[in-house]
Amino acid sequence: MIVCSNCRHANMSGAMFCAECGAQLIGRDALITQTISTDKFKKVSKKAGDEEAYQDFDVTDAWGSLHLLDTGQVLPLSSRNEFTMGRISEGQPIMPDIDLSPFQAYAAGVSRLHAVIKREAGRIIFMDLGSANGTYINGKRLSPNIEQIVNHGDIIALGKLKMQILFKEQ
Amino acid sequence: MPVGKPDYYAVLGVFRDASQEEIKRAYLDAAQRLHPDKNVAAGETELFLSVQQAYEVLSNPKRRNQYDATLPPEIDEGNRLIKHEVFFSRPNLVRLGEDQLVYILFEVGPREEKPDQVPAPPLNLCLVLDRSTSMQGEKMDILKATAIQLLRSLRPQDVLSIVAFSDRAEVIVPASISLDKKKQEGRIQMMQTSGATEIYHGLEAGMREIRRTLDPSRVNHIILLTDGHTYGDEQACLQLAEEAAAQNVGITGMGVGHEWNDIFLDALASKTGGSSAYISNPKDIERLLIDKFKALVSTYADEVILDFKEQPGIRFNYAFRLQPEGGTVALQAPLHLGPILRDTPLHVLLEVVVGAEALSGNEVTLIDGSLKTSVNANPMPLPPIRLKLTREIQPNPSADPPPTRILSALSRLTLYRMQERAQTAVDAGQIDVAVRHLQNLATHLLSQGEHSLAKTALFEADNLERMHSFSASGSKDIKYKTRALLLKSGKEKAG
Repeated sequence: MIVCSNCRHANMSGAMFCAECGAQLIGRDALITQTISTDKFKKVSKKAGDEEAYQDFDVTDAWGSLHLLDTGQVLPLSSRNEFTMGRISEGQPIMPDIDLSPFQAYAAGVSRLHAVIKREAGRIIFMDLGSANGTYINGKRLSPNIEQIVNHGDIIALGKLKMQILFKEQ
Repeated sequence: MPVGKPDYYAVLGVFRDASQEEIKRAYLDAAQRLHPDKNVAAGETELFLSVQQAYEVLSNPKRRNQYDATLPPEIDEGNRLIKHEVFFSRPNLVRLGEDQLVYILFEVGPREEKPDQVPAPPLNLCLVLDRSTSMQGEKMDILKATAIQLLRSLRPQDVLSIVAFSDRAEVIVPASISLDKKKQEGRIQMMQTSGATEIYHGLEAGMREIRRTLDPSRVNHIILLTDGHTYGDEQACLQLAEEAAAQNVGITGMGVGHEWNDIFLDALASKTGGSSAYISNPKDIERLLIDKFKALVSTYADEVILDFKEQPGIRFNYAFRLQPEGGTVALQAPLHLGPILRDTPLHVLLEVVVGAEALSGNEVTLIDGSLKTSVNANPMPLPPIRLKLTREIQPNPSADPPPTRILSALSRLTLYRMQERAQTAVDAGQIDVAVRHLQNLATHLLSQGEHSLAKTALFEADNLERMHSFSASGSKDIKYKTRALLLKSGKEKAG
């Protein structure tokens, strides 16, 4: 009998993946180096690479952008009006629209689902989604789940991860 | 073997230690297939005569002994057209007081170095098309155009018949070699939609057309295309599929839209070693039908069958064909594993439960049986490949990691099975269990880099929580996309 370390389900001896939660039970290292991490690496370098980021940044289309102050990268906001921000973490089925995990989000104290930014009637609104370490606009902490209008050039901090928001005038 | 002296055992397709009973059965099978009253292909009458000659010698113990004395010693080279490999998830079993699992991966492919130079087999194909009212409009128009396109692309040796069905069936194009194509195209153009979906009528008429030109050197296949549920005749359909399997007729199910019964079509097709395909957008009808047609033309062996004797304490838990055309393999005896294509060998993964009662000796026999294949370009029956798979029993588990090919196939098969479990839970009304499975599935999809499918799974988990059912296309989207992931890993391995 093999007890799954993830969900405590008792699997038959010789099982390779948990029948309940699908976690791999044996030979874990081998698989990680073979498939998962290479995929991740590609994704990370794509987001972190400046060239790529600028290519993605379609100036005519984006209604605004977030400039990460520590690393100087630009995250364009385009093609939709609302973005959730946070970090993807393995083992959790939470997918923010903007994944900050390539930018040391974990170390900076970004929650998995941290905040939301949206455009509504020509205004840009920011709202904390009950994050653990708080969201700050120009150094002032937001109350969770209360919408707050932000202005061009404001400095936003998710935990310790700071970024400046720039957007086009309507 | 001396020239001019046929190997009677090979002619009948039996082992040299075959019992009189087995010889008799093999003879009756072959005689039925090759009898001059029935056979169609050139040269089959000669084959029939040599089968008779072989039986005359082997059925008489005295003459059989004399004949055996003249044979060179048997060299167990397996089979000269097919090669097979078997991998185990672990080198030995552990002496335990409880059930344990072992995975077996079969890889069966052509022995030839250049299988693509084997002549392409002629087809005996029947399209069984749903023309119920719901097919009206775009679906029917595309279907007609594709059917005409297929008709025009036939080679002279191919046979294509077309049956349309609703609550009754009509033969649109009968199975015959010489076709007046203009007239047939006209008949296809005239197909009208009406009535409800009753698959049995269509399938039965399709089988009738297939039987007209049934021939072991052809690829005999039915493609069933439907967009709805059939009511009340499922059991009759499954029985028909079993008859089809016994006559080496394959069935592929294709479902258009999201209202057809994928579980039923899968069950139907897997009886014959086939699987079902999901056509979410009517525009894909053409592509999928043409792809299937090409796959059939590139068939090397249209069916691999695993025949086995039941072993005490050994139970097959799950069988899945990784390639070509992923799909579950129906757990029946014998197992219909699926076809071998000229460019794609057959890969099947088997999950076997070994009970404590099987562990009495020093080793366990997991499978004692044979692999039977029929290579279409070779009308002679092939000797079956003997298969005796055993594992030693050790006090402790082995430290060796499982083969990578098994691990990587299972990592993706696990995703497919989680989706299956979610579906089962929904059917049983356990919404919370289904939601948990889908959320777990999303987590794993995410860690394997499948972001959009992960989102679909999460979206459906959300739907289940709120509405207690999948969205209209949700369960099929997840099922067929997780299955497609498996095919991807299979392709990588082949390359």
